[in-house]
Amino acid sequence: MGAIKNDDFKKKLTSAVCTLLGAVPAAQAAQAAEDAGKKWDIDAAVLYYQEADNRVSAIEPVISLRRGFSGNRALNVKFTLDALTGATPNGATPTNVPQTFTRPSGSDSYVVQPGETPLDDTFKDTRLAVNGSWQQPVGRLSLLTLGGNFSKEYDFLSVGGNALLARDFNDRNTTLTFGLALEQDSVDPVGGVPIPLASMAAAGTLQPRQGGSESKTVVDAMVGITQVLSPRTLTQVNYSLSQNSGYLNDPYKLLSVVDPVTGATVRNVYENRPDTRSKHALYWLMRHRLKRDVVSGDYRFFFDDWGVTSHTLGLNYRWQPSKKFWFEPLVRYYTQSEADFFRIQLVDGQPIPVEASADYRLTAFNGLTFGLKHGWMFANGHELILKLEYYTTQGDDSPSEAIGVQRGLDLYPNLKSTVVQVQYRF
Amino acid sequence: MEAVRAHTTVVGRFKAMACPCEVIVDTADDRLGLRLVDVAEREARRIEEKFSRYIPGNALDRINRAEGKPFHVDEEMAQLLDFAARAFELSGGLFDVTSGVLRRAWKFDGSNAVPAPETVEKLRAFVGWRRAAWDGRTLKLEPGMELDLGGIAKEYAVDRAVALIAAESGAGVLVNFGGDIAAGGHRRNGAAWSVGIEQVDDAGKAAGVLQLKRGAVATSGDSKRFVTDGRRRYGHIIDPRTGWPVADAPRAVTVHAATCTEAGFLSTMGMLSGREAETFLRGAGEKFWVAR
Repeated sequence: MGAIKNDDFKKKLTSAVCTLLGAVPAAQAAQAAEDAGKKWDIDAAVLYYQEADNRVSAIEPVISLRRGFSGNRALNVKFTLDALTGATPNGATPTNVPQTFTRPSGSDSYVVQPGETPLDDTFKDTRLAVNGSWQQPVGRLSLLTLGGNFSKEYDFLSVGGNALLARDFNDRNTTLTFGLALEQDSVDPVGGVPIPLASMAAAGTLQPRQGGSESKTVVDAMVGITQVLSPRTLTQVNYSLSQNSGYLNDPYKLLSVVDPVTGATVRNVYENRPDTRSKHALYWLMRHRLKRDVVSGDYRFFFDDWGVTSHTLGLNYRWQPSKKFWFEPLVRYYTQSEADFFRIQLVDGQPIPVEASADYRLTAFNGLTFGLKHGWMFANGHELILKLEYYTTQGDDSPSEAIGVQRGLDLYPNLKSTVVQVQYRF
Repeated sequence: MEAVRAHTTVVGRFKAMACPCEVIVDTADDRLGLRLVDVAEREARRIEEKFSRYIPGNALDRINRAEGKPFHVDEEMAQLLDFAARAFELSGGLFDVTSGVLRRAWKFDGSNAVPAPETVEKLRAFVGWRRAAWDGRTLKLEPGMELDLGGIAKEYAVDRAVALIAAESGAGVLVNFGGDIAAGGHRRNGAAWSVGIEQVDDAGKAAGVLQLKRGAVATSGDSKRFVTDGRRRYGHIIDPRTGWPVADAPRAVTVHAATCTEAGFLSTMGMLSGREAETFLRGAGEKFWVAR
């Protein structure tokens, strides 16, 4: 054989190979057509949320669709439906006699027994949320994600848009992320918008209402850095700023006004919060991959100009004993301080503050979450994930502000909730 | 299949065609990575099942059991046979898909089992593409002849896998089926893949590193496969024209070409060219590495 120096040999070989592999496009067209039907990645989940003592329960089906396109582009669409029912603390304190509260509609009332935390059982809502986003590379090193979201409840409408730009540096070991989001909400409370700090009127009488609807604007900005520290270790730090302005009250929350001596409830008034809120959050994540398992720890520091400061510490461990399944236990601790305008109650005869809320979410409390996730990976690439989480909160049951009959009553409505989620990816 | 994330890539590994296979996808999207590895794996298994000579009842086996009767083949088999026919002509009969029969005489297990010349002569009667009647649709082999697509199928599978992946995504991929390698798509950082060229007598240690941005590399040769009669060492590359191992064949030849099929053909030809390997490969005009 030896020296074949003519170009003819190479040309003939290339032509023979092209004839052979030329078959590929035709065959792949058939393959592509076959695959076209399953190019959407689907992630379907149902979440069930239950608070103890017959408080809120929710059932939330979610379906996420993702379609990838060539060139690292992708379309994501997510539909969420929330059906909530149950009772939620209305902000008033328990007392030693039965209490009658007017429902938000103004035409009906409910009674709370002595010593019991007043819960508004009118709470029933269905929320539909749709999120969509488009992701595409910008240049060689940046990835841009543009998104929109829409959410509708009976008394609430939210429309928003967001943009996220991630840029890789340093041989892709560093990623800088910048995000901006805008959201416009409108609230149409059942029965109208209550006049802040006005007394709740008896059902069937003229209700203290100032209008039909209010609005709120939220602007979020975030900057983050993700750094690969070693082939096994990654860290991420994010700072985010959220500017809220407009109607920030919870139109269904009350405060009790109590007698300065006996502590008996004299009347109930609607809450009032500042009309702006600046929230800052700093988030730090460390993730380390062991041989097969992954351990992650994260910490979040939050503060706002309402005087709320919070710390969240989380730890989870992904244990992968086999290629087919994994377990992920997690524990999370949360602690927050109370807002400047938080009041357990107002005292009759004392000057009424400009801002006051008895919302239990604005008081000082600690929360603890225990969770376990379990995933099964099937041979066809599908994945089944089960999630179980238990969350409890603890606050000050007997604050020093308690007066007379209030002493000895449980003034912080502890929350115990359970989340169960079943998720299937295919 | 076993897949892991390694930095910016998803790496999938599986065993197919009797060799370890690896597919590396340059993507941040785990699920895309998994899907592309899956595309490659399914194609490797499909080709193995159809063209392996160890699977009774498959397309190849049915041809080999036709016992002299004409056999009508499907389109893909026809395309491979067309290629085999052209490769036979181009190589002057050195590259011959009917030469597998000679393996019965030559058992390259490091022993001194050099066959008797008569045994080789007998088997030679069943070797030679010229004895096959191929009209582009129907193949008729003489009784006793056998087809072996082992010298084409793996490289063909690599090229097919790269093309099927390209139809799904533009992501940069490196497909490696037992040392036959091809790159496809575009890596996000624009870099080439580093492919180590194994030194035959010191397995595991890279003799060189090739920067593969596109195209393919294939290697022929195996230092562990030889027989000896005490005086001469016969390497495992048999010249189908004589039935005897090629004299002074390199221990290994690696060739870089546009496609894996092309690189595989050239590396096999390099081995078959014996002491002329370098001369032949220089004439072919592709990058090559010869280990002697």
